[in-house]
Amino acid sequence: MTTMMTIRKYKNSISVALLASVMVFVSSCTKDLLDPTPTTSIIDNEAFDNPARILLQVNGLYSGVKHGEFYGGRYIIYNEIRGDEFIVNRPNGVTGLDTWGQNVNSNTNEVVNLWSRSYAAINRINVFLAGLQANISKIDATLANQYIGEAEFLRALSYLALVQTYAKPYVFDNGASLGVPLRLVAETTLTGEGTNDLARSTVAQVYAQIIKDLDDAETKLPATPSAGAFRAFKNTAIALKARVYLTQANYAQVVTESAKIISTTAPFQAPAGGSRLDASISNVFNGAYTGTATASETLLSLPFTTTDAPGTQNQLAFYFNTSPGNSEYYLNAAGILANPALNSTTDARATLLTKAGTITYLSKFKTASPFTDYIPVVRYAEVLLNAAEASARTGNLTRATDLLYAVRRRSDPAFTFPAADISTEASLVNTILTERRIELLGEGFRTPDLKRLGLALPTKGNATSGIAPAVAPTAPNYIWPISGRELQSNRLLVPNP
Amino acid sequence: MKKILYLIGVVLLFGVQAFAQTRTITGKVTDSGDGTALPGVSISTGRGGPSARTNAAGEYSISLPSDYKSLIFTFVGYATQTVSASSGRVNVLLVSSQNQLSEVVVSGYSSTSKKDFTGSAVKVSAAQIANKPVQSFDQALAGQAAGVNIIQPNGVLNNPPVFRVRGFNSISLSSYPLIVVDGVPVFTGTTGNTASVSSNSASNNPLGDINPNDIESIDILKDASSTAIYGSRAANGVVVVTTKKGKQGKTRVNYDGWVGITKAFNLPDMLNAEQYVTIKNEARANTTPRLDPGFALQQDASGKTIDTDWFDVVYQTGVSQNHNMSVSGASESTSYFLSTGYSKQESFIKTNSFERKIFRGNVDHHLSKAITVGTNFSYSNSLNIGPNTGSLLGQAYNTGGLARLPLVLAPNVSPYRPDGSYNITATGTLGLGANTIASNYPNAVVLLDNDRFTSKNDNIIANVYGELEIVKDLKLKTQYSLNKLNTANTTFQNPLSGDGQSNNGLALNTFEEYNRRDWTNTLNYIVAIDKHHINALVGQEEYHTTNVGTGTERTNLADGYFNNFQGNFLNSRSVAATGNFNTENGFRSFFGTVTYDFDKKYLLSGTFRRDGFSGLSANNKYGNFGGASIGWNIAEEDFFKNSSLGNIFDDFKLKGSYGVVGNIGVNDFASLALFNSGFYGSTSTVFFSQAGNPNLKWETSKKTDAGISFTMFKGRITADIDYYNNSINNLILNSPQSPSRGIPGDPVNTIAANVGSMFNRGIEFNITSRNIVKDNFSWTTNFNISTLNNKVTALAEGNADIYGSTSGLETANITRVGHTLGSIFVVPTAGVNPENGRRIFINRFGREVQYKQTGGTAWTYLDGTPAPAIDGTLDGKIVGKGIPTFYGGLNNTFTYKDFDLTVGITFSGGNKIYNGTQATLRDQRFWNNHTDILNRWTTPGQITDIPRLEYGDNYSNGSAIPNSSNVQNGAYAKLKNVALGYKFPTELVNRAGIASLRLYVQATNLAVVTGYDGSDPEVSTNGNSNLAPGVDRNGVPSSRIFTFGLNVGF
Repeated sequence: MTTMMTIRKYKNSISVALLASVMVFVSSCTKDLLDPTPTTSIIDNEAFDNPARILLQVNGLYSGVKHGEFYGGRYIIYNEIRGDEFIVNRPNGVTGLDTWGQNVNSNTNEVVNLWSRSYAAINRINVFLAGLQANISKIDATLANQYIGEAEFLRALSYLALVQTYAKPYVFDNGASLGVPLRLVAETTLTGEGTNDLARSTVAQVYAQIIKDLDDAETKLPATPSAGAFRAFKNTAIALKARVYLTQANYAQVVTESAKIISTTAPFQAPAGGSRLDASISNVFNGAYTGTATASETLLSLPFTTTDAPGTQNQLAFYFNTSPGNSEYYLNAAGILANPALNSTTDARATLLTKAGTITYLSKFKTASPFTDYIPVVRYAEVLLNAAEASARTGNLTRATDLLYAVRRRSDPAFTFPAADISTEASLVNTILTERRIELLGEGFRTPDLKRLGLALPTKGNATSGIAPAVAPTAPNYIWPISGRELQSNRLLVPNP
Repeated sequence: MKKILYLIGVVLLFGVQAFAQTRTITGKVTDSGDGTALPGVSISTGRGGPSARTNAAGEYSISLPSDYKSLIFTFVGYATQTVSASSGRVNVLLVSSQNQLSEVVVSGYSSTSKKDFTGSAVKVSAAQIANKPVQSFDQALAGQAAGVNIIQPNGVLNNPPVFRVRGFNSISLSSYPLIVVDGVPVFTGTTGNTASVSSNSASNNPLGDINPNDIESIDILKDASSTAIYGSRAANGVVVVTTKKGKQGKTRVNYDGWVGITKAFNLPDMLNAEQYVTIKNEARANTTPRLDPGFALQQDASGKTIDTDWFDVVYQTGVSQNHNMSVSGASESTSYFLSTGYSKQESFIKTNSFERKIFRGNVDHHLSKAITVGTNFSYSNSLNIGPNTGSLLGQAYNTGGLARLPLVLAPNVSPYRPDGSYNITATGTLGLGANTIASNYPNAVVLLDNDRFTSKNDNIIANVYGELEIVKDLKLKTQYSLNKLNTANTTFQNPLSGDGQSNNGLALNTFEEYNRRDWTNTLNYIVAIDKHHINALVGQEEYHTTNVGTGTERTNLADGYFNNFQGNFLNSRSVAATGNFNTENGFRSFFGTVTYDFDKKYLLSGTFRRDGFSGLSANNKYGNFGGASIGWNIAEEDFFKNSSLGNIFDDFKLKGSYGVVGNIGVNDFASLALFNSGFYGSTSTVFFSQAGNPNLKWETSKKTDAGISFTMFKGRITADIDYYNNSINNLILNSPQSPSRGIPGDPVNTIAANVGSMFNRGIEFNITSRNIVKDNFSWTTNFNISTLNNKVTALAEGNADIYGSTSGLETANITRVGHTLGSIFVVPTAGVNPENGRRIFINRFGREVQYKQTGGTAWTYLDGTPAPAIDGTLDGKIVGKGIPTFYGGLNNTFTYKDFDLTVGITFSGGNKIYNGTQATLRDQRFWNNHTDILNRWTTPGQITDIPRLEYGDNYSNGSAIPNSSNVQNGAYAKLKNVALGYKFPTELVNRAGIASLRLYVQATNLAVVTGYDGSDPEVSTNGNSNLAPGVDRNGVPSSRIFTFGLNVGF
């Protein structure tokens, strides 16, 4: 009996304990179990909480544009390898083989990813602009204005890339053909049927938006650059506007805009903001060029660090250089490499090349792994060459020649062009265009230049690496197809022929 | 009354009373296998009747009233046996097997006898998975269970298999089932398409941390009524794993061990050096303008032509061993089971290995008649080591992928220079040899020698429980479980060659901690009132999971001497991309289930569960799930028993079920709009990173099941036939947004939303026939086959198609309304133009377009006029299903005297495979080719499927745009497993102090019958991906394994 009693007691105490623990457990359930807060991401309603965070959002706009598949690498690489300056050395589909061979289709990764990354950068901007407006009271008005200007500048830069890649050049028909969809509002949620659909604006409409953004940015941006010119300032917007007008063959406007940032007399430099040529081009391509505290050739460059390194197979040095670099593309012997300037002992730009056996690599971008060379987006040499070309085309051969020499003699101080090369408008324009190829080699200008001039994409290649065919301006593959992903979900979108 | 005796779920019966005696029956109970006496066996007549127990010698004695005609012998670890007993002496042989549990279905939080079970579930016993040369038990399930489709993606060790129960049950979420081990929902590492927790090239399936030899049984619950108790996690089916427990009787000690060798199964025939040089130079000569020859034979120092077989460089014969030792036993009040296991397996891929050390122990103890407590604990340490095989999810195009390297590396180049150093260029690619064309690819030898990827788990799965019988048959149970999985992943990539080269050496270490605690409380009441039997259970469960990862990447090796993370590097970074994460989620649930039967004839069950989950939007956290089923045991009806059918059928049950269950697996914060932080140079950033969906709610799966199950001829034939229809609604779909909307996230341009629907329908048939049952010879056949018809009926955003991509680079799958999920999607071809040897594609307008790599217009109509370029998206067509429409297994077991032979065949079909590897094998860059390239077009009029060779051509054979020439029928039958065993006579081994001894030899993947041209039709380059199944792209082949093993009982 005693044993039984013990067991019963035992049993009772255990059952009480069990029941109690269950009840405690049930009642102790905290609401938190079903409402955890993310610790490594910021919830949307706190994203614009204070001025410091809003500034980080501005930086975020730049990092969006700097994505490795956009301005942070591949956009520039595509513009180079579609042109005729480079020959594929490693026939790798992942590193642009089909782009080089003019053989992409709407499903090719280059086509799909550039489209997607450009618009991701644009939406980041639109989300920021909307968020800033909603929280405008949280920061100083001047600062808010400046941020708006930066956002608009970056949006213009992104749309310019899109419209030049996926639409017919403006010069063909004054922008009458189909451009790209103009997304200008924040896209943050699933908002129902039809949200995905947006028709393409015309090329002219896209350009108009770009100019509108840049005009507004010009009024809002600060006159002087932040350290390193990693963010846009007034001169950057003006310079980009000149580039845009050049693309539209609106040379008078190029002259007008350029005049704001190029002094009338030598040494040519911007009246404000310290923009001017650096004394040495090798300074500019030292991997991490920021100029001096008061003056710099760069109007906007995109920085990298070992922590913020470009993604794998997106890095300029990886493509164009060798050791460091993966020798993906070497310079076409029949391209600008044949120009005497790049073979001279006096022109400093020849030092930006590296010979490996019989072939030559571009070594402008030269930082070892993880290839953190800054990406030049706008630099003063281009500003001068844009102005030179526009001046020449508008009859001001003297200024055109002066600006041309400014660029040439920075690298080859004693050089004199043969008279025949600069004496007429046609020859001078031609010489300036050649100078662009020398000066801006590897910086992503070749394909846009061919397109704005209505020229075919030349054939290139050789008996070792294979041949890429020429692409006539009338050919369907002169411009890229619209991303297949977009075609699939945006029912108002008309594909390129 | 007799039929009440089938209540077997509660196996231990205490406190029995004796009734008035009318006659006495005595006897001895022994183990049918080794003949040992079994003490402690329960002998009863059923509820309320007299009962007894065997003594230490296995003898029993029971007095029976005259109206009791049979005795029931119940013993833990043995099949319950009912014996008719008139009088006198009745000796009983109990079948000591793992089949004891086969009579019950462990469904959810309780178990039900199979006869009373009205849902759809399939049980896999220990014998079907033990001793197999696998790393994780799920690999051994292939062909073993109807409705369960297992595909081993390739031969990488511990690569999680594709595991689908009744088809795809989601599009954007995982289709991997919920795995519950002894009541603990364990980590499978699966939130998307992979079940690997490794972040590098060493595959790591956490289910490999469970010793297959510790498993007593696996119940795979398929329909809604049986899975509804798991509510929101049940849509993919639930796999309930029960581990072994101690069996009453003397202490048992068992040893199981095997050794084996592994070889690559079915490698492609590659061109040798001479053929390679000829073919490649021919391709160069065929271009316009003609390219110079770029390839030449090279002689080594002894003048011998270099002819490297890169398969020999990469593959080997692997040697594996596996050992398990267990000690178990039980007294009336306490049972225990202890085991240790050691497994060291080598793959046929050099440097790929798997090593596991595991300990498991459990104890159950009856504190009193009313209180039971117990604990179950397992700790395992497993180490996965692998090279970069390029064969895991997302790796198909890895430059350093070892599977592809032998397909692309030049056979006329040696891996070593004459001085013995690595033959590589300055950028780490394979040296040129006598060729003038450089390779893009690294030298495989350098990678094998210097790169190293490891993924190591420390995995604790444990629970403790207490059960209190408050009043008779009313039990309160509380169980606290935890699963703690720590995974350490290390990567080292050398600075010489391969993926580490451009980084000048790279090391990446990540450490991941997954913690889950689960507290479940249930109250279970079993009652019988006359012929009414009710089993009711209510419960409450909460569980909380935290996932924390930290990682650091170091690049730019300071000195080539260093070869690990701890050596000196110049750069290091630790950001989200290097494996830093910190998330959590919680579940809170309430559930109840009732089963009722009347006289064992009419069966009913109903289940309800309300789940709250943190990952869903604020207003939709809770969801209600449930299921119901009915059944009718016709064989229990008198009219049936009295008919002629009654002599044929022992059992005949009709059943049907319907229910609604859910699927979860969304990101922990999927409903929220989020901003992330990153870098812009040396400043930091904040940016819009995830578009939230404030309306995100449960995905629901409506499952209907109807079936019959029966046994015939005194148990000679048992069979189940089921029809199922799973209709999935409110699919959580990563709804594709127009890329121009710029929606960020992962995947990019999508927002998780409840849109879309699809169904899976089919029939399952499972039959086991004991064809021959004689003393000296027996033959048992199990055959199972399942059909699957999957169709997507609605998608997001006006039914926009969803593409499935292989490793982010190639799109050969599409999900489109009206078709099967992840259908094979390629550009159709009409073969090779006999006139000029060009590949002919058929464009979206049905017109034939031919391709020429060089010299003039690339794309032309057959009359030579220019045609628009073929476009993978616009011209692509669905050419077949990516998953089988039928699959199953045929398993035969023979015993002859002391010999046993098992022959297992698996089969599947109805699907197409996109053989992307064939595109690699026929690519006309510098890559090596399959010998079938020798059939290339060379002369006008020639009929062949290999186009004219032109150097650099990556279009004609499908590298740039997938085309239908690489789509093949995926049907196959595979001789998956053959095992021959010999059991030594008991008398013989007893003299050596051994209770039992069995030796066996076993072979895996012996042969395959198929029309498929690739290495193995059992393949899935994209693992468990829902969107991109049925793709074979650049992976290692599967393995063929021979093992020799022994099972010893002491």
